[in-house]
Amino acid sequence: MNNYQLMIKADDKQVVLERILQVARYRGFLISGIHAQVNTGTNIGTIELLVRSERPIELLVDQINKLIDIKEVKVDNSAPQQCIA
Amino acid sequence: MATEKKLTGGSLLFNVLEQHGVEHVFGYPGGAIMPIYDALYDSNVEHFLCRHEQGAAFSAVGYARASGKVGVCFATSGPGATNLITGLADALADSIPVVAITGQVATSAMGSDAFQEIDIFGLSLACTKHSFQVTDINDLAKVLHQAFAIALEGRQGPVLVDIPKDVQLAEVNGCLDELVSLKNKVKLPPANVGSAIALLNQAKQPVLYVGGGVGMANAVDELREFASITGVPSVSTLKGLGAIDPEDENYLGMLGMHGTKAANLAVQQCDLLIAVGARFDDRVTGKLNEFAPNAKVIHFDIDTAEINKRRVADAAILGDLKVNLPALAIPLSIATWQGKCQQMKVDFAWDYNHPGESIFAPAVLKEVSDKMPKNTCVTTDVGQHQMWAAQHMLFDDPSNFLTSGGMGTMGFGVPAAVGAQVSRPTDCIVAVSGDGSFMMNVQELSTIKRFQLPVKIVLIDNAKLGMVRQWQDLFFNGRLSETDLADNPDFVMLANAFDIKAKLISKKSEVSDAIEDMMNHDGPYLLQVKINAQDNVWPLVPPNTANDKMMEST
Ligand SMILES: Cc1ncc(C[n+]2csc(CCOP(=O)(O)OP(=O)(O)O)c2C)c(N)n1
Ligand SMILES: [Mg+2]
Repeated sequence: MNNYQLMIKADDKQVVLERILQVARYRGFLISGIHAQVNTGTNIGTIELLVRSERPIELLVDQINKLIDIKEVKVDNSAPQQCIA
Repeated sequence: MATEKKLTGGSLLFNVLEQHGVEHVFGYPGGAIMPIYDALYDSNVEHFLCRHEQGAAFSAVGYARASGKVGVCFATSGPGATNLITGLADALADSIPVVAITGQVATSAMGSDAFQEIDIFGLSLACTKHSFQVTDINDLAKVLHQAFAIALEGRQGPVLVDIPKDVQLAEVNGCLDELVSLKNKVKLPPANVGSAIALLNQAKQPVLYVGGGVGMANAVDELREFASITGVPSVSTLKGLGAIDPEDENYLGMLGMHGTKAANLAVQQCDLLIAVGARFDDRVTGKLNEFAPNAKVIHFDIDTAEINKRRVADAAILGDLKVNLPALAIPLSIATWQGKCQQMKVDFAWDYNHPGESIFAPAVLKEVSDKMPKNTCVTTDVGQHQMWAAQHMLFDDPSNFLTSGGMGTMGFGVPAAVGAQVSRPTDCIVAVSGDGSFMMNVQELSTIKRFQLPVKIVLIDNAKLGMVRQWQDLFFNGRLSETDLADNPDFVMLANAFDIKAKLISKKSEVSDAIEDMMNHDGPYLLQVKINAQDNVWPLVPPNTANDKMMEST
């Protein structure tokens, strides 16, 4: 299992968080933490997502990027960390 | 630019549809979509009443696939909307541009478990490319324009727009003229042409692996040019059929689970696999880590997320096939390999000899294929008959073979044929169905009757859920569980009940005349073809097995 941190910028629509969570789960990434600032009245929502998976993070980044409302996805710690637990 | 006149949301919808060139929609009315159906009354858009929302969704899919235009379907809230889901999932799996409009309860009632309220917006997340819920009439035109842009842009797909009843009734100034382009468009990295050219030049045994993306990109000509300049032997996925000219001497047929022996052996032996608009689906690859084990991979696609998803690409060529294929079309010296592939094609050609009186489905479908007029569009359902159609019928364009590939949805064939016939009224449309699948959307015979659509239905009747029965025989020790359909209805009588002419045949000697009668008949026709329940589809690559270890009979 590898841990990754994603920094996501999105059009600030109500449903965007739901879409990201759905894609992460469906593509085989366990969500271990989330910090989101959405529906703030600005146009941009920011979401920090901590995920865990056997799968390479590029798979998730590419799929999240395909969501229409997404502006940017960055992997914060691009060198994956081994999960201790 | 706004016009002076006030419009309701319902009328605005039709204005935008007309702006996008929509002439036909498929749908089914109900309470929460009544203002839209009221506006339809005054619109130039022609509505085809289907007899189930799933039928409407598949008709929209068939319409889109046969014509290259966006398919549009309507449903009311709650059960109407949920009935669309299978069609949307099918469109998502096969990347088909569809816009689905659903009525929703009024915004004031939303979230109160109102009558016929379901969170279709939430349900849509997993089965559409994108979806919208419009809660402000001032957003409606913009959202609808976006829906069409998203359905068509990049990798195509279904988009759902959920419109509450009060928004359909609200008034607004006339419709926006601008057609939006997507601001969030993913920027594709520059095509990696140099390394791909090097791979092509090094290859001694390349194979072109053609997928559904070629047709979607409207790049059939560019692909054929590429195949002809490079001379690379080609194979096709189920959805790619028709992209390569089936008469091309270097074309080896379909690959994968029910692929031809020549196609699968060539891919297993190749040293370079050139994937074009294909996604290494498990039905294609068999055991993934033994698929094309010696090959480097060049992967052409429009969708970044397909690159390295199931197979690592040595060179990824992202973007429009119409631009990228010509950039890589260079002559190659691979005569020995071409000769070897052509020989395999001869050695492993289909054998239509079949002992006994009972009808051999592959031969029937081949004969239908030989006798159908040019530009015939064939739809299929799902099962053995689908694989036989894919194997034994020839298509000269991907828009002439509509089959549920990614989702494998039974019930697709008849409503997809309805949509295809509406989009191409003068072309012959043939639906190849199975006795199980046919019953899944049999109500659409009513749509055929209502609009007098001259669809020809070839019903391959083994009185079984044949494909499942085949697997039970081969992989579950012959324990036949719930796959017998001996109590099927009288299909001829059933068709007649919808004023559709029909005939049953069960002997080889009846086949030729029956096909001609069907083809010569002006209106809709159902030809029920009784076959032996034990007939299997061959070859078959068993699950999780390398593609060169196909079974050829038992
Ligand atoms: C909606 C749906 N339900 C179940 C299946 C599983 N399934 C695949 S093929 C098949 C049998 C189809 O029977 P029929 O239409 O008679 O075709 P045959 O294989 O006999 O030619 C079934 C049940 C499916 N593909 N789609
Ligand atoms: Mg059957």
